[in-house]
Amino acid sequence: MLLTALISGLVLGGTYALVAMGLTLQYGISRIMNLAYGEITIFAAFSAFILFSTFGINPLLGMAIVLPGAFVFGYLIYGVMMQPLVSRSSRTGSLEVDSILATFGLLFVIQGVMLITFGSNYTSYNYLNFGVNVLGANIAANRLLAFALAIVIGGVLFLVLTRTRWGTTIRAIAVAPASAPLVGINVNRTARFAFALGTMLAASGGVMVSMYQTFNASMGVVFTMKALVIVIMGGLGNLMGALVAGLLLGLVETFVATYVDPGLTLASTYLIFLVVLLWKPAGLFGKAAGR
Amino acid sequence: MLEVRNLSLRYGRHRALEDVSVSVGEGETVVILGANGAGKSSLLKAIAGLARPEKGSEITIDGRSLIGVAPHRIPETGIALVPEGRGMFGDLTVEENLLLGANPRRARAGEAERSALVYDLFPRLAERRRQSVRTMSGGEQQMVAIGRALMSNPQYLMLDEPSLGLAPIVVTELFAALDRVKKTGVALLLVEQNVSISLSISDRGYLMEAGRIVGADTAEALKTDAAVQQAFLGGSAA
Repeated sequence: MLLTALISGLVLGGTYALVAMGLTLQYGISRIMNLAYGEITIFAAFSAFILFSTFGINPLLGMAIVLPGAFVFGYLIYGVMMQPLVSRSSRTGSLEVDSILATFGLLFVIQGVMLITFGSNYTSYNYLNFGVNVLGANIAANRLLAFALAIVIGGVLFLVLTRTRWGTTIRAIAVAPASAPLVGINVNRTARFAFALGTMLAASGGVMVSMYQTFNASMGVVFTMKALVIVIMGGLGNLMGALVAGLLLGLVETFVATYVDPGLTLASTYLIFLVVLLWKPAGLFGKAAGR
Repeated sequence: MLEVRNLSLRYGRHRALEDVSVSVGEGETVVILGANGAGKSSLLKAIAGLARPEKGSEITIDGRSLIGVAPHRIPETGIALVPEGRGMFGDLTVEENLLLGANPRRARAGEAERSALVYDLFPRLAERRRQSVRTMSGGEQQMVAIGRALMSNPQYLMLDEPSLGLAPIVVTELFAALDRVKKTGVALLLVEQNVSISLSISDRGYLMEAGRIVGADTAEALKTDAAVQQAFLGGSAA
């Protein structure tokens, strides 16, 4: 049972980490606090469900359709909704508050569309739903696939951001946006790209969740909150932090559900959040003072 | 030739620059001397596209106008700025800062040679390639800032008070490096309060006061100019 909990925890944590990486891109680099983030995850879960149940396209292939769609959606949303807020904030400096209010509205729009289209029932589908023996523990194949996907997508993203010039320009904006033009970085265009990339990661998490978990149209906020907790624990804009904090959260939730009480998972999330904030307010990997 | 003609700039009601005309020839080293608040930094900011000049102002590089060019496009024209406070990417390493310096397209060819030149100019950076810049001393950070600017393959390198807050021995070292940069053919536009050392590497100089140019001469002449002595050196040679 210990091993099963450990592996299930890592699997869940892998999805969390991926979803949180997207939020840390949006918040840390584009400076947009996106409250509608989890709705994208759920929308992608429903999209994967429709593609699978109606068109017989398996979720792995479905990703190839859903992810580019999410990227384009994020790119458009930034252009239409965020751009005006960003241009205005150069004078007022209120991008954070403005983006929270704007995306709070977007949350209800997307949620409303989903409730009308998909209803309010819990949904799931059967894909690779058989047990696989991993070191003696019995784990569903769809969970293992989701974990593998999280590792591949997260790993590629990490390498691109840390090992390429293009990735370094993205991190440069997170570190010192005012200095970026000095080296020829178009902050606005790069922020838009990072926002779209974040939207794509939110969607990839959604497709994964749909493979092994039930979901409904009003669940988005749970993902937003968890991603936010992970991002703050890992340190704003810190990808490695998001990865470790995501895995940690998945493990804690699974252990609490297995050994204590499934009803206490969300409470445990906030408990470790609180402990981290008291012990290391800038996050597990954050710098102590000022950015 | 980098040419500024009749440049005026205001922040709200405050007039920062009034009818300023300055030029820097190819490969030339020019220093702008002036007290705090004389408008020296505003001049560099205006050239770098970071401040919007008033109508009638002209800034050109080899005849092409730079007015209204977005700040992120300025490095592409061959102008690099080392700003006041250095503008480092503090959480990134020395290597990453230099990599970003070579981000403009004009900098891609010959990137390896230029990075070798930077490490040769500042051997201390070569020892600390993987160190994050925020953990380094002020002098070392200034070296990274100059190195990053050089990586963009500039024709004109503008430096805003590079000696500010550094120990005299570090300043000497820094200007020795700048003298070597000058010999590679890069033109320098220097803004300084440290008169003697900046005149020692310059060809020409301008004097600035309250947003206006109040004097211009060769560096040799300025070294012995009574007005310079009076205004900046407290009457005695430093």
